[in-house]
Amino acid sequence: MAQSGKGRLNYRCPSCFLRDLDIDMFYDKEKDEYYCMRCQYHSNEAEILRWNEIIRLRYGAMAKRFDKFDFD
Amino acid sequence: MSDFILNLIHRPELVPEYSATVNGQDVSDQGILTESLDIFKTQQRLAHENGLRTTIQMTYSSLFNEEAVELAKHDHEVYGDEIALSLLGLPCEQFREKYKTRDFCIWMFSMEDKKTIVDDVFGTFYEKFGFWPKSTGSYYMDAPLLNYIKEKYPEVECAIATCWEEGPKAYHTCNNSWYTLFDGGPWAPWIPSKQNTHAPAANAEEDCGIVAIPHLSRDLLACYDGNGSNFGTHPQNVLRGMIYDSKTWDFPYLYNLIDQYRDLEKYNNGYAYNMMFVGPGWMNKMGRWEAPYELLLKSYTDGCRYYGELKKQGKLIDMTMSEFAAWYRKKKSYTEPECALWRDILYGSDKQLFWYCDPYMRAGINMDQGGALFDLRPYAAKLFWPVGIGTKHVQDCSYPFLIQEKYRAGYFTHYAGEGTIKSAKVRYAGEEADFCQFRTKAHFSEERVENEGKSAEGSKRILTLDPCEFVLGGKTFTLQTKITFEEGSGRIRYDRALLSADDPDAEVEIDEYMVACYGTTEYPEDMTGITLTLEENGEPEEVVHYEYKDRKIARSGAHAAAVIPAIGTRVSMEADGAEGYIREGHAFSPMFTLGQKKSIKAGEVFTTWLSLEKAD
Repeated sequence: MAQSGKGRLNYRCPSCFLRDLDIDMFYDKEKDEYYCMRCQYHSNEAEILRWNEIIRLRYGAMAKRFDKFDFD
Repeated sequence: MSDFILNLIHRPELVPEYSATVNGQDVSDQGILTESLDIFKTQQRLAHENGLRTTIQMTYSSLFNEEAVELAKHDHEVYGDEIALSLLGLPCEQFREKYKTRDFCIWMFSMEDKKTIVDDVFGTFYEKFGFWPKSTGSYYMDAPLLNYIKEKYPEVECAIATCWEEGPKAYHTCNNSWYTLFDGGPWAPWIPSKQNTHAPAANAEEDCGIVAIPHLSRDLLACYDGNGSNFGTHPQNVLRGMIYDSKTWDFPYLYNLIDQYRDLEKYNNGYAYNMMFVGPGWMNKMGRWEAPYELLLKSYTDGCRYYGELKKQGKLIDMTMSEFAAWYRKKKSYTEPECALWRDILYGSDKQLFWYCDPYMRAGINMDQGGALFDLRPYAAKLFWPVGIGTKHVQDCSYPFLIQEKYRAGYFTHYAGEGTIKSAKVRYAGEEADFCQFRTKAHFSEERVENEGKSAEGSKRILTLDPCEFVLGGKTFTLQTKITFEEGSGRIRYDRALLSADDPDAEVEIDEYMVACYGTTEYPEDMTGITLTLEENGEPEEVVHYEYKDRKIARSGAHAAAVIPAIGTRVSMEADGAEGYIREGHAFSPMFTLGQKKSIKAGEVFTTWLSLEKAD
């Protein structure tokens, strides 16, 4: 059983992020996957990046530039 | 003429607070020292390239580094930066050898240790620079700490003294391991009282002598129900929240946040404020979570550039912390509130909140719930709440709430009981609806009273909400809410006007109510000791000592009041010609309710007042 460590970039668990938890993931070289130490999430880098885009769906106005801040 | 002030602050933190835990590096690692100083140099360069002056908050560790000291002196001479002193960044070999502890948060030490450390840090600063700092700060600074610093080092004029709504939510986000529990404070600069840092001073006697600024300027909506460290004027916090386009690396949210803060000058006598303070750990060469170093650097570069462009356009004034403190004292009276009518700029909901903060209360109004009061902190009590080792609150610095709709539900509860909220129910023909069911918008106006050019007691800040159409018993009733905050009074006035009705003779009953409790966290406190009263002519006519028995008592013409000894607060609801009532809660709903009921017809208004006082 190989010892796990941090990956190239220090990914957080997307599943935990969705419940407002920042948890660093560890990287398992043997399986080439990241895994969460708190929940059961595990996946490769491409899948994490896909999940991270799902996270951004909550920010419906993330790309919008506002020029008015009241409703007068 | 409006003034948008920026305090841009950097600290040469030679052992970034995240390096030891996140990256597993040793605090004495020479590589960290070199890189950390390089980050500080980069931050300073970006500020100066954009024409911005900074406040350099020297950390304890940096005082032992000759290069850091010389850099600060150079930038003070050349750019006019202020050399100040931070109480962050304590961890270093010298600190650990001297104090034999891994603790590093100044507010958590015992009072004796706070004094020793402050004297050590201030003394070392004086040795290096030959003068006392005018500014200091940490993530939180409790009142006894601020009082001690002002007494011992009267030169100090300004301090970073809290992080807005950094409490249980931040603790949770950090896997219950980041002990910054300071909910319930101001989001914009204020003068802390000698009794409690979070509660602004009401007069010169209460003035602790220091102008406080918050750590960062935070999103007044997103931070209330999410991780505060994702939504502030801290570019890397925005990256932490993943609020950027992963392909283009664009993050308009940061600029929307800055611009919404600029817009707050409309509600604050032509004044608005921003603070940006990014520790070096956030620009680590190893990257930070998903963000590579290049993105971290880009975000800080772009943030400085945006502030710099605003300055070039004459839309921003950069000040050092001590300059700002002097400016603030000239601009504001003790009683002048801070007001913020705030819209959602992130989720696309158009939700709108109003925040009000003065020496007597901090209050939040939710227009998405018909103007309900969803957060209430009774600053009138000026609660003495020492923190740190040896006190009752080693970590918990939050100012207690009476109402907190996230920690104690709000209008919506599961299955049974009530959550904390102040709203009104409208009844007709056996049917009932609540203002909380209406998504509306507010419009701000003022009735201004001045004394020597400053806002004075008697001034009114008024929210006029768009009307709500209630359909009850097959008839339509149009009601409008007006909420008035009177400066220096500790009172909130709610006017509920029945503008029109299908049947002009129809009477609707307005039940103005407040469900409250007390606490600082998500978990209930012991309600024993709370006293509920119905009063006439200032005398108690009915008294309920809280025993979780779910009792309810009503009395015509009575004022309803509660005294909460645990937080030294008295809260009351008054109305003319109405029926006052009190309601005890029960174990599954550990709340109390104060209310006033009255029936009105079209063209009439039901007015109630909520008052906060220090309990005897």
